[in-house]
Amino acid sequence: MERRTFLAGTATAALAAGFAAPAAAQAKKAVIGVSIPSATHGFMGGLNWHAQETIKRLKATYPNLDFVLATAGAVGKQVNDIEDMVATRNIDALVVLPFESEPLTSPVKAVKEAGKWVTVVDRGLAQPGIEDLYVAGDNTAFGRVSGEYFKANLKPGAKIVVLRGIPTTLDNERVDAFQKAIEGSGIEILDMQHGNWNRDKAFAVMQDYLSKHKKIDAVWAADDDMAIGVMEAISQAGRQKEMWIVGGAGMKEIIKRVMDKDPQVPVDVSYTPAQISTALEVTALRFVSDTPVYGRFIIGSTLITPENAAQFYFPNSPF
Amino acid sequence: MNTEAAPVLELRDVRKSFGPIEILHGIDFALRAGEVHALIGENGAGKSTIMKILGGFIEPTSGEVLLDGRPAPYDSGAEAEAAGVVVIHQEFNLAPDLTVSENIWLGRELGRVFLDHRAMRAGTQALLDQLDSHVRPDARIRDLPVSDRQMVEIAKALARKARVLIMDEPSAVLTNREVEVLFRQIDRLRAQGVALLYTSHRLEEVTRLADRITVLRDGAVVRRAMRGELTEDGMATAMVGRDLQDIYPAKRHHAGELALEVRGFSVPPLVEDVSFTLKRGEVLGISGLVGSGRTELAEGLVGLRPASGDMRRGGVRVRIHSVREAAAHGMAYLTEDRKERGLLLDKTLRENLTLSTLPRFGAPFLSTEREEAALTRAIADFDIRAPRRDMRVGNLSGGNQQKLLLAKTLLSDPEIVIIDEPTRGIDVGTKSQIYAFIDALAAKGKSVIVISSDMPEILGLSDRVLVMRHGRLAGELAGERISETAVVRLVMGTAEEAAREPTHV
Amino acid sequence: MSDAALRPATGFRLPGLSALGPLLALILLVVLGAFLNDNFLSQGNVTNVLARSAFIGMIAVGMTFVITSGGLDLSVGSMAAFIAGVMILAMNALLPAMGVGVPLILVGMAIALGAGLLAGLGNGLLVTKAHIEPFIVTLGTMGIFRSLVTWLADGGTISLDFAVRQLYRPVYYSGLFGIAWPILVFALVAIAGQVAMRHTRFGRYCEAIGSNDKVALYSAVNVDRIRLLTYVLLGLLVGLATIMYVPRLGSASGSTGMLWELEAIAAVIIGGTALKGGYGRVWGTVVGVLILSLIDNILILADLVSPYLNGTIQGVIIVLAVVLQRRKTAA
Repeated sequence: MERRTFLAGTATAALAAGFAAPAAAQAKKAVIGVSIPSATHGFMGGLNWHAQETIKRLKATYPNLDFVLATAGAVGKQVNDIEDMVATRNIDALVVLPFESEPLTSPVKAVKEAGKWVTVVDRGLAQPGIEDLYVAGDNTAFGRVSGEYFKANLKPGAKIVVLRGIPTTLDNERVDAFQKAIEGSGIEILDMQHGNWNRDKAFAVMQDYLSKHKKIDAVWAADDDMAIGVMEAISQAGRQKEMWIVGGAGMKEIIKRVMDKDPQVPVDVSYTPAQISTALEVTALRFVSDTPVYGRFIIGSTLITPENAAQFYFPNSPF
Repeated sequence: MNTEAAPVLELRDVRKSFGPIEILHGIDFALRAGEVHALIGENGAGKSTIMKILGGFIEPTSGEVLLDGRPAPYDSGAEAEAAGVVVIHQEFNLAPDLTVSENIWLGRELGRVFLDHRAMRAGTQALLDQLDSHVRPDARIRDLPVSDRQMVEIAKALARKARVLIMDEPSAVLTNREVEVLFRQIDRLRAQGVALLYTSHRLEEVTRLADRITVLRDGAVVRRAMRGELTEDGMATAMVGRDLQDIYPAKRHHAGELALEVRGFSVPPLVEDVSFTLKRGEVLGISGLVGSGRTELAEGLVGLRPASGDMRRGGVRVRIHSVREAAAHGMAYLTEDRKERGLLLDKTLRENLTLSTLPRFGAPFLSTEREEAALTRAIADFDIRAPRRDMRVGNLSGGNQQKLLLAKTLLSDPEIVIIDEPTRGIDVGTKSQIYAFIDALAAKGKSVIVISSDMPEILGLSDRVLVMRHGRLAGELAGERISETAVVRLVMGTAEEAAREPTHV
Repeated sequence: MSDAALRPATGFRLPGLSALGPLLALILLVVLGAFLNDNFLSQGNVTNVLARSAFIGMIAVGMTFVITSGGLDLSVGSMAAFIAGVMILAMNALLPAMGVGVPLILVGMAIALGAGLLAGLGNGLLVTKAHIEPFIVTLGTMGIFRSLVTWLADGGTISLDFAVRQLYRPVYYSGLFGIAWPILVFALVAIAGQVAMRHTRFGRYCEAIGSNDKVALYSAVNVDRIRLLTYVLLGLLVGLATIMYVPRLGSASGSTGMLWELEAIAAVIIGGTALKGGYGRVWGTVVGVLILSLIDNILILADLVSPYLNGTIQGVIIVLAVVLQRRKTAA
């Protein structure tokens, strides 16, 4: 999708340059550069989709806005992308979801020092105060909301297993908050291994959990991709009735199951890839109105239940 | 020559065992300053082991290695070089992707933080000038012909201020002209007081160069002689331990019907418009300098190189684009480069023997029994001497490798065999065996083409001789007309009239 | 030299100690696993581990031939993801026309094998005809396949239609005589691979080409064709692995088959095949694959170390297995 639109985008840009050159010369367009990681897993896939949809919508709404979207598969590539945007596209604002915090701090700082507007999404930079606008999900809330659900729905002495993501700060924040939330509940965490937010890996880890532990009451899969792998492993072992699973992030297949009241997946926890849309929209406001948009927008993680699931369901999103 | 001069490097009662087998039995051997000492013997007599011990690559099991009368202060090749003892191996010790200059200064580069390329190039040029070599210091080793690589090795030894220079068959890969250059360098080094060890299978070179000769047989010294004390015949007899009659078989071939007819054959970019015929039961020699296109012609004939021209087998036009197609037309080629193109050195005898004829050993599943039977037969027929049957071919001696390669090539029972340098780097005993095999082939009515830089070999084996020069046929000699002078004149291009003499059949 | 040494060896000969190195490592791992956890040798766990190994295993068997003949293929992981994506999309697209049934599954399988064959052929032709280094060719196609599957999936996940999935599921989850299908297929592939390497011309030619391709060329071996065949064979086996993989989770995404190429190459090398080519040992590759899967399994079952250190343990065991075998070869 991303490549197709990219090509289409180039074509339209070329056409626009050909036909609309005089118009463009009269009213200076504001260019917003968008730099995000490429769609290597489900969540990022969703984020890419939301970014493209939002850009399409904003372009239609505000003709004097232009967007440059670049996706990067690695830190170095993202740094290059940002430098290129400043050097060749003369951007007025940068919306960036840093691949990693440390290495991107100084390149983004350089953009800021060049007098551009900077919006940072999801992962903060290593140095505070660089960005004009910060939009992020709440990893602590993500872990806490999940933990609270476990605490409320399991009896003391219940046994659970946990699958962790790729070892990162973000993963640590979630897990710490989860553990803190179930403190004092008497719930026992039997095992905690890395599933790397990957279906196949989660499948294998869950298979091993099932061989190892005779009794498991619930699984915190912490991610909907991993939840899918976990469910397969459970059904292979024929232990569907024994335990329920909580994933996270709001993948459409999982939301659908929550809506349909699947007893295996009673709830989900939101950590929406649509945060990129919020970031883009708020940044756009800076250039089309006088609304003050500085500050921090934290998009909370909420518990998705059969009652509210409909508002988290995007059947067209790939995620 | 002062024979009383103290030895620079000396072995005293040196013995060497590999496992339970002793292969050197109490060797005394000395190299003196300003003297060329030739060490000769058949393959497997122990020459290489002695050179390796002298060069610090292996340690003797017992006995002493003395440098200037004291125990040699080294136990690795690198330390030996630092002490002034340099070995030039047959397989050169040069980094193929580096330049001549980089190789010569390898490990001793000039300059502190940054390399001083200019000084190194100048130094290299000085060394090469000293050797009368036209090699450029910036040339990559990979791009140099073998003879130039040899010069680089010698230059490297000079750069290391070698006091002792050990040369393992340096002439084996050189053309006659290059051999002359090499000899001049050896004379010069001798005059400078370097102690030289020289080995060669070419006994006339030994006569020409050596001040002192030591003959080895089966790991023991069987003869020591000073210059002029030993004839070439005497050397050969001492090496083999028996009288050597003429090592070439008597010529008694009666050429039969036409086996191959080649017209206007070209192998770009070198070989152009070559025409010749080949009969059954005939040995056809091809002579010429290295680089005259002999190998290229042969490789063109068997489809290893793209070629054009007319080729007929038994009157029928054939086109050959691969070795496989050549084999289908009863043609086989035995390469001059047995280590890089002929044999898989890290595979066993069996796997090597059957590689080009594998379809005969069962489909879809190979029959190891049949392969083993073929190997048993080859070992007997070709007198292949291997300590173990399942050993790697790389560990065989050169002569036995060559016999195995011959067995492999003949396993397809070809009608036409092209043998490129049949006896390069092989001792005289094995040589005569290989000549006998070639003779037997011709006697059975096969056609054999022998490509060789070894003049006696060409003269001794061939019923007819083709001479190549600059990629073209310079002439053809048959019967009585085959003589060393005639061939050499054609090779050198000093016999224009002779070249035109034999018209093609 | 004695006559006895030159006589052909008779009867069965044990492989040398160096060949047994990886096998010893595997046995040690099994003993360790059984000691650490009672469930380790349960049928369920054994089936899990073997079935999981099957994908990488089949690919690694094909990789053994490629590496033995002096080549390399870095694209297999991405290729598997791409084939899985194509296969699922094709089955979903054919569903309205064909309906849910065995024919649809068979068509899907044929598409997977066909895609594998074409992908392998592409790699092989670029290596043999365009004379590009295998490392570069397959590094390129690795990126191509990976981005194609991401594109096909719109950056998300391609999922097989639920009803088709239910029908297809048993191909991974059930089996014959209590042995899961992936294990059976893997075993067949391994046995056929071992026989092909040791007892057919193809295997011998692969070794000859990897040992010295010039010698092979001078020995009437069709070097280019054999090389091409190794890549095609590998492509087909990737297709076969995908056929067994898709019914497991019923989906493919940009992260499917991530790093499978490295696992497959590691398994081949642990098993005793020379990375520079010239010698291949298919049964060793199977041992290598099992070692890799078992390390993972034992680390999770046993809680020996912090999960952060799992990679370290894996790395140490891989290097040790190879050191063990190299040291003895040198002696």
